[in-house]
Amino acid sequence: MVLKLYGMPVSTCTRRVATVLVEYKVPFEFVSIDVAKGEHKSAAYLQNQPFGQVPYIDDDGFILFESRAICRYIVDKYPAPAGTTPLVPSDIKGKALFEQAASIEYSDFEPYAYPTVREKVFKPMRNLPTDKAVYDSSIETLDAKLAGYEAILGKQKYLAGNEIILADLFHLPYATLLAKAGSDLMTTKGPNVTRWYNELCERPSWNAVKDGAKSFSSY
Amino acid sequence: MAILKLHGGKQATCTRRVATVLHELQVPFELIEVDVANGAHKSPEYLKIQPFGQIPYIDDDGFLLYETRAICRYIAAKYPKYGLIPTEPKANALFEQAASVELTNFDPSASKAGLQLWIRKMGYPFPTDDKIIADNLETLEKKLDAYEAILSKQRYLAGETITLADIFHLPYGVFVTYAGSESDSVMNRASRPNVARWYKELISRPSWLAYLDGVTTTTAY
Repeated sequence: MVLKLYGMPVSTCTRRVATVLVEYKVPFEFVSIDVAKGEHKSAAYLQNQPFGQVPYIDDDGFILFESRAICRYIVDKYPAPAGTTPLVPSDIKGKALFEQAASIEYSDFEPYAYPTVREKVFKPMRNLPTDKAVYDSSIETLDAKLAGYEAILGKQKYLAGNEIILADLFHLPYATLLAKAGSDLMTTKGPNVTRWYNELCERPSWNAVKDGAKSFSSY
Repeated sequence: MAILKLHGGKQATCTRRVATVLHELQVPFELIEVDVANGAHKSPEYLKIQPFGQIPYIDDDGFLLYETRAICRYIAAKYPKYGLIPTEPKANALFEQAASVELTNFDPSASKAGLQLWIRKMGYPFPTDDKIIADNLETLEKKLDAYEAILSKQRYLAGETITLADIFHLPYGVFVTYAGSESDSVMNRASRPNVARWYKELISRPSWLAYLDGVTTTTAY
């Protein structure tokens, strides 16, 4: 049975998963959840995702949620496409450096990129007022954190070494919304961050889904 | 082979998370205190090792690693007999789901409220904010309702055996209880008996009890 991805087409976390499915050329059916109508909070939905969030997958009866966990599962289950290196290393030290990068994404990028985008992109979409203080402090901290990225990316191509890994791709959904949120940090903070960010944006897998996740039956 | 060196703070929250897992895995380690009070973690030399200027990091016989959850995962992978990271593919996926739940649904509110409550309890001279504590505890209460649903079906977050995903809830899972009492706190409410059961198991573990007064060098178990 083909893998089913349940989510919202333009949701950040849904597109994070779709990107990795396309990277690994995994056929999948995209099933749209009516978030506007609160389908993700229904009793039936909560059986599969108890936090009432999108996305989740149904892989032939195996249900999994949390976009980063789904991405890891895909990379674990399927072989890397011919001519590419796996998005998660398997040797102990390579894996450790991958985990360090994955933790950096979640501790040093997302906590500041997400509120920035929420205040200036998501809230206006829902006619909710922007909290300028939250926006300003999030941008300020993100700016400081990107100094750490600039240092790392001055020594190596990607966050865990010279090969791209899942942790690099994890940044795409929120990083690409920062410009919409009025911040050009990804292309002005420093030459290394700019180089890395522009390369990520050129990934065919991201470009295939950036305007909205959809089904892929073949590649 | 040199003993693993944990560079951090005796009482520091994230240092304690790593020490708890090192203890779970019975790994000898030396605590090397970083002089955070005097900004040692922001020096150019320190930033070469940890570019975000944070503690802790480890030096495992010359292999340097930072980010507590990455450190914990690395050590757990080195000592797989303890089963803290399941290896069977579906069990591993459910572990990753639980580990991600901790990151996305627990840590944001628990660490914000927990850090401030810990600062108050320790009497550290840093500002705290009643509203930040209250707002984040409120968010956490709602998240823990989903935890209750999960833990009513299985013993731990990833299944029937304990994994790193459960242990990652320390120390903030304890610090958020400082706003309540031993018999009634956000982690221990009559309305969420399974969360309470799971929480009590976590804080009874020898690895948590070992460093109640702070992390110390541990050469034997």
